[in-house]
Amino acid sequence: MKVEAIEYGDRKVFSVGAFNRGVAEWLSRLPTLWVEGEVTELRRQERWATVFLTLKDPSDGACLSVSMPRAQFDALRLELADGERVHVYGRPELFAARGDFRFRALSIERFGLGDHLAALERLKQKLAHEGVFDRKRPLPRFPRRVGLVTGNDAAAKRDVLTAITTRFPPARIVVAETYVQGPRAAGAIVDAIGALCEIPDVDVIIVARGGGSFEDLLPFSDERLVRAVAGCQVPIVSAVGHEQDTPLSDLAADARASTPSVAARLVVPDADELRKRLEQTRQRLHHAPLLMLERKRAALESAHGRLRALSPRATLDRGYAIVRREGAIVRSGGDVGTGARVDVELAEGGFGATVEETR
Amino acid sequence: MTFEEAQKELEAVVRKLETGQADLDEALTLWQQGDELYRFCLGRLDSAQGKIEDLASKVDSLRPAEPA
Repeated sequence: MKVEAIEYGDRKVFSVGAFNRGVAEWLSRLPTLWVEGEVTELRRQERWATVFLTLKDPSDGACLSVSMPRAQFDALRLELADGERVHVYGRPELFAARGDFRFRALSIERFGLGDHLAALERLKQKLAHEGVFDRKRPLPRFPRRVGLVTGNDAAAKRDVLTAITTRFPPARIVVAETYVQGPRAAGAIVDAIGALCEIPDVDVIIVARGGGSFEDLLPFSDERLVRAVAGCQVPIVSAVGHEQDTPLSDLAADARASTPSVAARLVVPDADELRKRLEQTRQRLHHAPLLMLERKRAALESAHGRLRALSPRATLDRGYAIVRREGAIVRSGGDVGTGARVDVELAEGGFGATVEETR
Repeated sequence: MTFEEAQKELEAVVRKLETGQADLDEALTLWQQGDELYRFCLGRLDSAQGKIEDLASKVDSLRPAEPA
């Protein structure tokens, strides 16, 4: 159907209604297709005939409003929750009345395990290509404060805290309890990391979670979390228990700890070892002066020995004598004429003499 | 001064004393300095009280005080 324009001289102008209908008509030519994304803002009311939700692209946040007749939605029996990834089959539509652009869903399918695995692999390649997994910073040996992001279940939190405080009692730890499972987990952990980074003195952060199924650990491969871990100004240790598939946040972290005690070893020194080393240093400190005096005395002794060896005394002891004429040492026969008065010094005493002949 | 800095300096002092680089007079002051560093380090190990705080409480202290 052709949309009529209104003529104003040479200008062709469309009414809003006509314009909307025209665009709507164009859109209706687009095929029905599958769109993938994360369910957010799911709104379903008994009295409404339609269910609404916003489909969000997890990598760039692009959004698409989706509507579906409630009866068809309920028939799928998906028990959908915000944060779940889905495939939606439908077609783009413009509601001429208010110019609303929306994707009318004909069917929705939840992401299967295979889809998750495939999506995860694609994300991994993309992030690896960007070098997100490359930076591995050294961990500080003496962190002023350790940040800990963990779930509110007692086990994981308690294990890490005990491991750290046993190894280094003076450790100061700031704990951020948050969701570590389910659709809200990824965003919550990103916020927790951000909050910890703002606390002065936090020099390292541990993200800890007890083991879990592949689905349980999905938040730890969420692109936002992986980028937050890689880009965090403070080094991050990933202490997420898992069997085979490594969550991507493990690859992005600066270090990985398979158990709480390993995590503790990575972030804090061993107090007992420090004490032992300190004691050793103290002993060296107390021995040092003795050692030094010893060495000084030895040096003195050897200097003294060399001194004595070089002194004339030792030469005289070996039977030599020193001949002087008016105080000056006579070294050759030519230094003195016959009849000259000389002094002769011996090892013991000496005597005066007159030169009878010189050679 | 942090524990790490003190420990490093202490070991430097001891090395200097051990290798006899210091002359006799300097040695005495060096030795005292070493002893002080040792006590500082030991203090940090023994007395320093470990602390476990919750982010929630920390974040409140970070949030600017509400205007009265």
